[in-house]
Amino acid sequence: MTGVDTLLSEYLPILIFLGVAIGLASVIVIASFIAARQKPDSEKLSPYECGFEPFGDSRTQFDVRFYLVAILFIIFDLEVAFLFPWAVSLAEIGTFGFWSMMIFLGILTIGFVYEWKKGALEWE
Amino acid sequence: MMYVLITFAPLLGALLAGFFGRSLGDRAAMLITSLLMTLAAVLSWVTLYQVAFGHSPAHVELLSWIKSGDFAVSWALQIDSLTAVMLVVVNTVSCLVHWYSIGYMSHDKAKARFFAYLSLFTFAMLMLVTSDNFVQLYFGWEGVGLASYLLIGFWYHKPSANAAAMKAFIVNRVGDFGFALGIAGIFLVYDSVTFEAVFSATPDYVDHTFMFLGYEVHTLTTICLLLFLGAMGKSAQLPLHTWLPDAMEGPTPVSALIHAATMVTAGVFLVARCSPMFEYAPDALAVVAVIGATTAFFAATVGLVQTDIKRVIAYSTCSQLGYMFFAAGLSAYPVAIFHLFTHAFFKALLFLGAGSVIHAVADEQDMRKMGGLAPHIRKTFFMMWIGSLALAGIGIPGVIGFAGFYSKDLILESAFAAHTSFGEYAFIMGIAAAFMTAFYSWRLLFMTFNGKPRAPRETMAHIHDSPPVMMIPLYVLAVGAVFAGIAFYGPMTGHHWEEFWGEAILILPVHTALEHAHDVPTWVKWLPLVVSVAGIALAWQMYIRNTELPGSFARTHQAIYQFLLNKWYFDELYDWIFVRPAKGLGRIFWKRGDGQVIDGFGPDGISSTVLKLARRASLLQSGYVYHYAFAMLIGVAVLVSFYFYAIGV
Amino acid sequence: MHDFAIALPEIFLAVAAMAMLMIGVFQKPGSDMGLVSWLGILSLAVALVLVVTGEGDNVSFAGLFVDDPFARFAKVLILIGSAAAIILSQGFVRREGMNRFEYPVLIMIATLGMLMMVSANDLISLYMGIELQSLPLYVLAAFKRDSTRTTEAGLKYFVLGALSSGMLLYGCSMIYGFTGSTTFGDIANVMQGQEKAGLGLVIGIVFLSAGLAFKVSAVPFHMWTPDVYEGAPSPVTAFFATAPKVAALAMFLRAMLEPFGGMEADWRQIIWLISVLSMLLGAFAAIGQHNIKRLMAYSSIGHVGYALVGLTAATSEGVRGVLVYLTIYLVMNVGTFACILAMRRGDRMVESIDDLRGLGKTHKGMAMALAIFMFSLAGVPPLAGFFGKFYVFMAAINAGLYYLAVIGVLASVVGAFYYLRIIKIMYFDEPTEPLSKPIGMELGVLMAVTAFLTAAFFVVPGVLVNGAAVAAGSLFP
Repeated sequence: MTGVDTLLSEYLPILIFLGVAIGLASVIVIASFIAARQKPDSEKLSPYECGFEPFGDSRTQFDVRFYLVAILFIIFDLEVAFLFPWAVSLAEIGTFGFWSMMIFLGILTIGFVYEWKKGALEWE
Repeated sequence: MMYVLITFAPLLGALLAGFFGRSLGDRAAMLITSLLMTLAAVLSWVTLYQVAFGHSPAHVELLSWIKSGDFAVSWALQIDSLTAVMLVVVNTVSCLVHWYSIGYMSHDKAKARFFAYLSLFTFAMLMLVTSDNFVQLYFGWEGVGLASYLLIGFWYHKPSANAAAMKAFIVNRVGDFGFALGIAGIFLVYDSVTFEAVFSATPDYVDHTFMFLGYEVHTLTTICLLLFLGAMGKSAQLPLHTWLPDAMEGPTPVSALIHAATMVTAGVFLVARCSPMFEYAPDALAVVAVIGATTAFFAATVGLVQTDIKRVIAYSTCSQLGYMFFAAGLSAYPVAIFHLFTHAFFKALLFLGAGSVIHAVADEQDMRKMGGLAPHIRKTFFMMWIGSLALAGIGIPGVIGFAGFYSKDLILESAFAAHTSFGEYAFIMGIAAAFMTAFYSWRLLFMTFNGKPRAPRETMAHIHDSPPVMMIPLYVLAVGAVFAGIAFYGPMTGHHWEEFWGEAILILPVHTALEHAHDVPTWVKWLPLVVSVAGIALAWQMYIRNTELPGSFARTHQAIYQFLLNKWYFDELYDWIFVRPAKGLGRIFWKRGDGQVIDGFGPDGISSTVLKLARRASLLQSGYVYHYAFAMLIGVAVLVSFYFYAIGV
Repeated sequence: MHDFAIALPEIFLAVAAMAMLMIGVFQKPGSDMGLVSWLGILSLAVALVLVVTGEGDNVSFAGLFVDDPFARFAKVLILIGSAAAIILSQGFVRREGMNRFEYPVLIMIATLGMLMMVSANDLISLYMGIELQSLPLYVLAAFKRDSTRTTEAGLKYFVLGALSSGMLLYGCSMIYGFTGSTTFGDIANVMQGQEKAGLGLVIGIVFLSAGLAFKVSAVPFHMWTPDVYEGAPSPVTAFFATAPKVAALAMFLRAMLEPFGGMEADWRQIIWLISVLSMLLGAFAAIGQHNIKRLMAYSSIGHVGYALVGLTAATSEGVRGVLVYLTIYLVMNVGTFACILAMRRGDRMVESIDDLRGLGKTHKGMAMALAIFMFSLAGVPPLAGFFGKFYVFMAAINAGLYYLAVIGVLASVVGAFYYLRIIKIMYFDEPTEPLSKPIGMELGVLMAVTAFLTAAFFVVPGVLVNGAAVAAGSLFP
């Protein structure tokens, strides 16, 4: 087999995976159309708390504060994601690992202080 | 030191008048240049006395000019008898012309420029005659060509003057091309360009030949012919003579200085200077003799029918130069230079006299509109007579005569004494030309000064002799025209000519024309006088006694008349052979080659292409992010494909 | 275990940037950025000293980080460029409502990223450096939040930068996949003894170079440059055109030559094409421009093309040429942007080339300086710009890349047109409405110093060229 063919054949599992994913997604969406009961009322149609309309164009203006909160959430969410493996393996990585995480947290803290002082956490 | 002063005084004058003319004022510029010229002229006579009569040639090294491998050229002044004679001719005439011009150009607006050019010309001419090598000679050669161009076209608002200037320059280019080739050939053969080295080595190259297009060619003959080609251009010999009559578009003093007395004789000087080479190239000498004799005859015939006073004298100059050349071609170099010397005086006299006439009749040059001027401008009339007598060579053999008598008769005698077929040809042509010379000279005199006035009445009312500043130079020249022959006949061309010329001129013993010229039969000595007087008589018959004769003759012999009037149709011939095809070719190169190909694909094409590309490149920048992103993706694809293409997958 | 000392400049700069952030945020709201700016310049100076005191060729942090003469050379240029950018900004930010302390801090963080880029010895640390540099730059491009032009520029830069990062990462993953390592040294070892790079690896290299080419704004990944240069606030543009260019090119050199040094035959074609396209586009597209910042964008594209000529040569001489080129380019651009930042009428900045009309009569000194920069950018001897081009073309010819050198020379002839046009406009056109005076002390000093360096470079070129030669040597063991 030539180079290109080998290259492409190695991607076969991904192609299968893509097919399965698309198939599954369409089955679920179509099933919900068929099986679910659709009874819209005013509560269901009113905007979400973040200000988005439940139905409508996704390309609309929205309040940047929602975005800000979401971003901050992601950052600290990721921080936790780092903290878990670190905590589990702390015994093995020793002081170097400990201080590495401390520095990381310190940098994050500085960013946190900055946004707090800037008032990013105040809704009004 | 004196020699340096002689050569550089005119340059100083030219620079002062040329660059500072405006701040100096016209009067100061004229006086400075004229005084500096006078100084140079006086010193030239001293030089002639010291060098030629005192037998003390000098050599002054000024500066090293070019040094490149074997090629070494310096600025130097070689002052021997030949140079000394030329110095006298050039500086004397130039000095007189300078003073004369103060009067002649008094109504002109650009006096300083005129005098700067005159002095510049003189400097270049002096560089030419004082050179000790071919390259400096060439420098002077081109310098006088440039000055001549500038002066012919001095009245640049006249289209005819511009055309004449260009014609002179271009025709000279042809000759100069040959000259430059000759110099290159000299360097190729001799490995040197100094006169001394070349001339002393020449006997070794007598049998030297080289191969050209499968023919075996004699080297010296080739070099000499190439040099002579340059001389032909500069000295207006057939077939490169056409520029000289047109050059009369310049101011008359210029014609006197450049196109009669000095520059045009540079060719004769060159041949004389290179006599040590020409002597060993008999074939080349023969060509020189034939060309010279033919020109002498041809120009005289054309001079018969011209009506422009200056053109008559111009053709006469051409004819006299032919005399000099055939003298040189018959190895009578001293005679050629002697004639050059005397000719300078009487021809300058004639030109300046003609200038005086033109000045008097309000810038009219056509002789048909003159006539009857003698009573009004008696002094000029006498001067013109003296000049014409000298030109026609009137004199009693063995007794006395005008300057031209000694030199011209000696040339004819040399031609007779050469006892070769070329010599005979030259003799016959020379005698014929002498007859015609006398005829057209007196035709000029009679048409201008005698008969009924044909000029408008108001012009006639104002006719007067020129101011002293113009007349005095005429008197001085008249003295030269009368006595130059008798004074220098002995030393320059007598039996002891070698004493006078020293090593400047070489004549091999086998060439005996000069030797025997003094011992020709009596009829040969008298013949020139006889034909000249006959010419004068005919002119009197036609223009005084029976004035109907010329008209009826021209009518009955229409063909000959037209042939001569149109100068043997040389200009038409050249126009047809060279000018039109060259223009056509030039037009093709210009329109098609330069305009469409070079400009089209070159500057214009490139600039329009660049602008087009620039516009397209700017258009790429649409401002849409998705275009940019797309371009990046395409870019990656292109890179990958280019890579595959480059490594040849 | 880890030699922290070799990363001292970066560590210092990181701490300093955080400290400045804290100082700034605890200042009274609305305070002037002057204090933070000068602290920033001071920190950059200290970092410069720390860089210069470094020695030898050391690798640490498990092969992720390298400190060698090449890196130090580039870092010196970067630190100087960043400091100059902060100085250049002073007048502008106050007039244009950008007077916020985040500005110098962002430049500092971007600078930190650049230092990381040139010291990166591993695809991972390389990517980290790039992102650390890029994110502050995106913010800076959009720093003037209330201007649509500026935000548009920032957004475009961000979106396209993300795309390029994607390509870069894709390339990195391909390379990792085909060599089994991300460390430059290990990749080079794997490649040792192989005659030819595998197909997949080459595609990886293409993607990697695409990502890097985006950062240096080489054709065809240049599209962001004119829009961002024009849209971003002028001092930000000045910053973009100097330090990040140096960092990205230095990184480009290392990322090509260290891991793939033995197989330049495989990737030379790619860089060759990028270089030629950049030179040509830089020369041609700039002709039609009326905005001087946009013109400088195309100019920088062209200059990157010339610099890449040295990389195409892939010799020590070529790298030396690139480093010399970058140094001269940095100096010229700082000077040119100092002139651009001095173009204002009253409080309004003007950016059109036509506004320079008659500058030769109204602002003699500035016109003189700008003329020197233009002549130098055009590559007219004996100004510095000529030598920059000379060394890279020389390297190309010695490497046998004649076509490249010829195209380069031709492109610089075409390019000379628009540089000379500016000079013509300054000196031969009549002034319409003269620019305001004074131009400001810091701009004047920068102009004078850079103009002097540009003009006097030919007197002692040895200092720079020898330094560059030493630096270049460290990429070729």
